[in-house]
Amino acid sequence: MTETTKTPVLQIDNYSLDYRTATGAFHALRNVSLDITPGEILGLVGESGSGKTSLAWSIMRYLPGNAREVGGAIRLGGEDLAKKSAAEIGAIRGKRISMVFQDPSTSLNPTLSVGRQLSEVLMRHRGLTRKQAWAEGEEMLARVGLKTPAQMMARMPHEASGGEKQRVVIATAFACNPECIIFDEPTTALDVITSRQILNLFVELQAETGVASLYISHDLALVSRTAKRVAVIRRGEVVEQGEVSAIFHDPQNDYTRQLIAAVPNPAIRLVESRPDATAAPLVKVENVSVHYGRKPFFAALTGRAHERVVGNRAVSLSVQPGEILGIVGESGSGKSTLAKAMTGLNPFEGKIWFDGKSISGVSDMDTGYRKDVQIIFQHPDASLNPRHRIGEILSRPLKLYGGEGSGSQAQKIGDLLEQVSLPRSHADRYPHQLSGGEKQRVAIARAFASKPKLVICDEITSALDVSVQASIVRLLLELQRVHDTAYLFITHDLNLVRQIAHRIAVMYHGELVEIARAEDISSPDRADYTRRLIEAVPIPAGTTAAAN
Amino acid sequence: MTEFLKRLLRTPQGAIGVAIVGLVLLVVIIGPWVAPHDPESLAPLQRYKGSSLTYLLGTDQYGRDIFSRLLIGARATVIMAMLATLAGTVVGALIGTTSAFLGGRADEAIMRTIDAVMSIPSLLFALLVVNLLGSSIVNALVAVAVAFAPGMARITRSVALSVRKQDYINAAIARGESARFVIVREMLPNVIAPIIVEMTIRVSFAVMLFATLSFLGLGAQPPAAEWGLMVSEARRYMHLSAGILIWPSIAIALVAIGFNLLGDGLRDALNPRA
Repeated sequence: MTETTKTPVLQIDNYSLDYRTATGAFHALRNVSLDITPGEILGLVGESGSGKTSLAWSIMRYLPGNAREVGGAIRLGGEDLAKKSAAEIGAIRGKRISMVFQDPSTSLNPTLSVGRQLSEVLMRHRGLTRKQAWAEGEEMLARVGLKTPAQMMARMPHEASGGEKQRVVIATAFACNPECIIFDEPTTALDVITSRQILNLFVELQAETGVASLYISHDLALVSRTAKRVAVIRRGEVVEQGEVSAIFHDPQNDYTRQLIAAVPNPAIRLVESRPDATAAPLVKVENVSVHYGRKPFFAALTGRAHERVVGNRAVSLSVQPGEILGIVGESGSGKSTLAKAMTGLNPFEGKIWFDGKSISGVSDMDTGYRKDVQIIFQHPDASLNPRHRIGEILSRPLKLYGGEGSGSQAQKIGDLLEQVSLPRSHADRYPHQLSGGEKQRVAIARAFASKPKLVICDEITSALDVSVQASIVRLLLELQRVHDTAYLFITHDLNLVRQIAHRIAVMYHGELVEIARAEDISSPDRADYTRRLIEAVPIPAGTTAAAN
Repeated sequence: MTEFLKRLLRTPQGAIGVAIVGLVLLVVIIGPWVAPHDPESLAPLQRYKGSSLTYLLGTDQYGRDIFSRLLIGARATVIMAMLATLAGTVVGALIGTTSAFLGGRADEAIMRTIDAVMSIPSLLFALLVVNLLGSSIVNALVAVAVAFAPGMARITRSVALSVRKQDYINAAIARGESARFVIVREMLPNVIAPIIVEMTIRVSFAVMLFATLSFLGLGAQPPAAEWGLMVSEARRYMHLSAGILIWPSIAIALVAIGFNLLGDGLRDALNPRA
């Protein structure tokens, strides 16, 4: 590696940052030292709350009022950024350092056209006239792979798709040929296939311009494919940094090892059991369609035709008793819509057979059905009522369905908590006093309180950090072994679902593309869309492409 | 709870609001015992007196002690305002939450009806109710409560709509809970914070609305020591002694300001992140 001899563009030297809070100083960053040389991509990996974004904002010199820089320096091309005046920083931002944000739908101003926002940067930092800037902007958009740059310049942000918007943001970041660009989880808000395209674009542009990049992400697999060097950050401290291959093949730090082990790897199956394929299916979904929106009153009056939004289009699938059926697809593909239809939260057309009973609407879902079919939602923050104690939350299913066995209510609630490895004393707490993983365990305990036959897991791990996700998945599989429950496991994480599902259903734009056994999902005779999806998913480092 | 009080007292609005409202409530409780004079004893020789040691705030057109009348009138004025606001809030909150929970056509029907009621100014509406039911202090209370309910329903519904979309409501419905349980136990506790803020601010409006009704002769009847009535009666004599008019007006203003500040303070304390 000869590149290490180059002088670094961005040098973070023993930098520490505190936030003053009501309960005392919170150490956001402690003695962080990082160097990025020209043309290098440094990946910064950490879980939520590890201080990744704080570091990005301290490089951009945009810190909240309660931040205190305790020590160290951040140097751009040898100049200490902390000693710059506000006006000097204003000249540096956007020109010498720029930033790409997580969610393109919030980082573009919805009231200004795309061209206006892009040309503003050029006018401010390169002194171009409005006309020159506009022409230059079109060129930029062409460079980031947008097919119709001239039309795109005139569009408003809501008229562009998520991927297109992120391309515009990237074009803006590269507009003034900066020395350093910070990417703050640029693909997290995007779909699998789109994010793969954005990633390819980023690598291409990076190689072309030789800009020094700091790539912040929580996704180890993704970073291992883009960055050359990786720094792992935990609770504000860089625990390990080095070449990608070294970090992934021979991690020195315990935390790094733990992090790498927690990344789902499709080559390692976590489920050995095999559902009885000859048994009568537990659930059969027959031609279930869901439409959103109701006919406007005036349209009904005047007899005008009304186009309804399609959530699901004639989806048919079945789940065997004790089977884990994975459902994958991009956001908006109708995965959650199906889950909501099956739990009576959405009206649907078509038929659901459950345990031999036919259900054709919400009114057919009696207490028995509700007891047997439980749902766990994505965000435990949203699915647990913040004003109820854990004990009260868990008591509801017991009251509604009548808990089996003897013992007092408190006894049963304690048992439920123990089942998900939480202490009994948690019953007196409120949800906000628990961590994200603990909250999700409570939600799981609530679903299992009624001893259901089918549990619908709607993206239940996607709001959690990777190490927490691994423990939640272990818990689910353990419960599945004990109770022989069937799961409908909805996720966008293909690697995870390939580890645990018996069969995988792929959905796209409200339609079921196909259902395949998990072992066969990567075979070449799968549907075109499935193959594209599989190709777009980053394989975790340390595994070879042979797994694909 | 103590942490909540600390947050409330840290903001200047909260601290001043708590102080004023505390003082007013103290007067409401112990006022009648500490009043130095009988509020209804007439003293023809002591009319239109200015402030003095015997009569702290002077005397009115019948020679009654204004300070004593204010202390005793606090009960009629402040308690009535609080009761009316509470009644209006409870009714409005239930309507608003139910409307948000039902959604669709039922929501439309309820909210358009509310809109129709709201299009009548609250004072006119209160006048209408009092005129229909006859002028008495209980009817005035009903009138103010009815005038307040639509506004509260509207505010509650806007908050409840966002709560309705939360997954814990979905979870409750998927669990097969009854509509009543979802509305009262799941939704209401989560919309309560903005309702409390709005309620405290509305108490001050209620005080003024009551004062207005009494002023127009439709609320409390003489010789009650209700503050609005005191202002109304003083109107004709104000050129003889301005104090008769000014002191009850100041008392009304103080209560209104106190509850308004308390509402502001509560809003900050209940939403620590905002």
